[in-house]
Amino acid sequence: MLRELQHRFAAALFADDHEMLGAELRGNGGEARARLDIYRLQLHAVFVRTLAREFPVIERLVGGEYFRHLGREFQTAHPSRAGDLQHIGAPFAAFLRQRFAGGAYDYLPDVAALEWAVQECMIAPEAVAFAPHALRSVAPDDYAQLHFEFHPACRLVSSRYPTLPIWRANQSASAATPIIDLASGATRALVQRSAEGVAFHLLSAPEHALLAKIAQDFCLGAALEAAQQCEAAFDLGPALRRLLALHALTAFRLRRKSCAGIA
Amino acid sequence: MGARARSSGIGLRSQHHAEFLKRRPAVGWVEVHSENYFARGGMQRKVLAEVRAHYPLSLHGVGLSIGSTDPLNRNHLAELLRLERDFDPVLVSEHLAWGSIDGRFMNDLLPLPYNEEALHHMAARVRSVQDVLGRQILIENVSSYLEFNDSSMAEWEFLVALVAEAGCALLLDLNNLHVNALNHGFDPYVYLHHLPPAAVREIHVAGHGRARVGACELLIDTHAAPVCNTVWRLYGAALERFGAVPTLIEWDAELPALDVLLGEARKIDELNEARCADAA
Repeated sequence: MLRELQHRFAAALFADDHEMLGAELRGNGGEARARLDIYRLQLHAVFVRTLAREFPVIERLVGGEYFRHLGREFQTAHPSRAGDLQHIGAPFAAFLRQRFAGGAYDYLPDVAALEWAVQECMIAPEAVAFAPHALRSVAPDDYAQLHFEFHPACRLVSSRYPTLPIWRANQSASAATPIIDLASGATRALVQRSAEGVAFHLLSAPEHALLAKIAQDFCLGAALEAAQQCEAAFDLGPALRRLLALHALTAFRLRRKSCAGIA
Repeated sequence: MGARARSSGIGLRSQHHAEFLKRRPAVGWVEVHSENYFARGGMQRKVLAEVRAHYPLSLHGVGLSIGSTDPLNRNHLAELLRLERDFDPVLVSEHLAWGSIDGRFMNDLLPLPYNEEALHHMAARVRSVQDVLGRQILIENVSSYLEFNDSSMAEWEFLVALVAEAGCALLLDLNNLHVNALNHGFDPYVYLHHLPPAAVREIHVAGHGRARVGACELLIDTHAAPVCNTVWRLYGAALERFGAVPTLIEWDAELPALDVLLGEARKIDELNEARCADAA
């Protein structure tokens, strides 16, 4: 009985169908429905308010009213699956991509992906980067088989649009937002939690290719190959030193056999 | 509660983190929503560690969906256990509510029917949570806007029976009591009179709003306003019945300046001091 009641209650809220619960509620039909509406409004308000906190730039770009409309559609497609709301935004960029890809707002999903990367960095576990001198224990002949662990509070983002300038331009509370030419350049960046919030480290195309492979647990040899496909003269040394200086890697290991398999 | 004599606590929200830590105001304790600190790293946890270093802490859960007929969410419970182990709270509380079914969460505190089936279900779930956490938890009465035909007992009767069957304690939210008393037409003082004094370990006071629903006006539990005089009067009666119980100012929406919350907290302490003076 209780489970059936909870099924009917949830269906009445999500499907906006009062009849599913009407007989279970005290009071006359009209008033009982109006009382149920309080919960229905709350269901959507809490979800959309949380989504807006996670994607303030998207909300600003599309406007509050349209964002609420998008948020309700998104909730229908991807309802919350946990009592903790901090993960509801994970599929939002993909949801926007389905809706806007190829059109005038093709850049919105990439802006959402950048905002989600920021969110993930902000709540990721703490971790300590390894000291660069620890790599001296690895024989130079083995470097190609090295695997690295990415710092959990780091994310890679890339877009053919200037998503980082768009993000930065929409951080101020000022109503005046500069016009950004969508053809003004691609974005490739390492997003990293910092003491002040997040830091963005711009990456070249080969650096991004290198890091993308490392983040997917490919060996260093395969990552270097990907970078050199972007730029034949790519020099691994400075790129690796930069990553170490940024404390973006927390561990390394040698995995010869699997490395060959993955590569 | 803890080494401090003050009964008053405030619900700490992120907008006040920096100012609260800078000023370290004279409140007896601090309560946070457990789920806001489930993240494994980042600023929220650092702030909570600093707060905990200076104040007794209460963890107040809003998302366990303890009254749901879905299996108990073990991931959520594991996160709560980790938080409890990391921060050693004085109190851990959840709600007399459900918020999910078939794995779909509404992230709200939805009411249960007050009948034998719901009572035994809720009691079993509370016992499971207490077993995992290895401690007694407090269950809070929630505000509600509708009632079920299936209910066969009053809310206070359900709570009294729950305490007996689950071995839990109560977090008595006086604003929710006031809201429900007006929304459903019962006497809140009768409700207070029936609760066993030893079971009430924490009290919440908060503000509410109003909404017209059909021909009647309902009170809506917004946590976005000062505590009204009616709730302060209920607090006076609660002090008489339950004694100096840790009492929280709960304010979640349209958050005012920290000083406004602290002013409300001072009222709690003044009412407690007046009661002690009367008793002396």
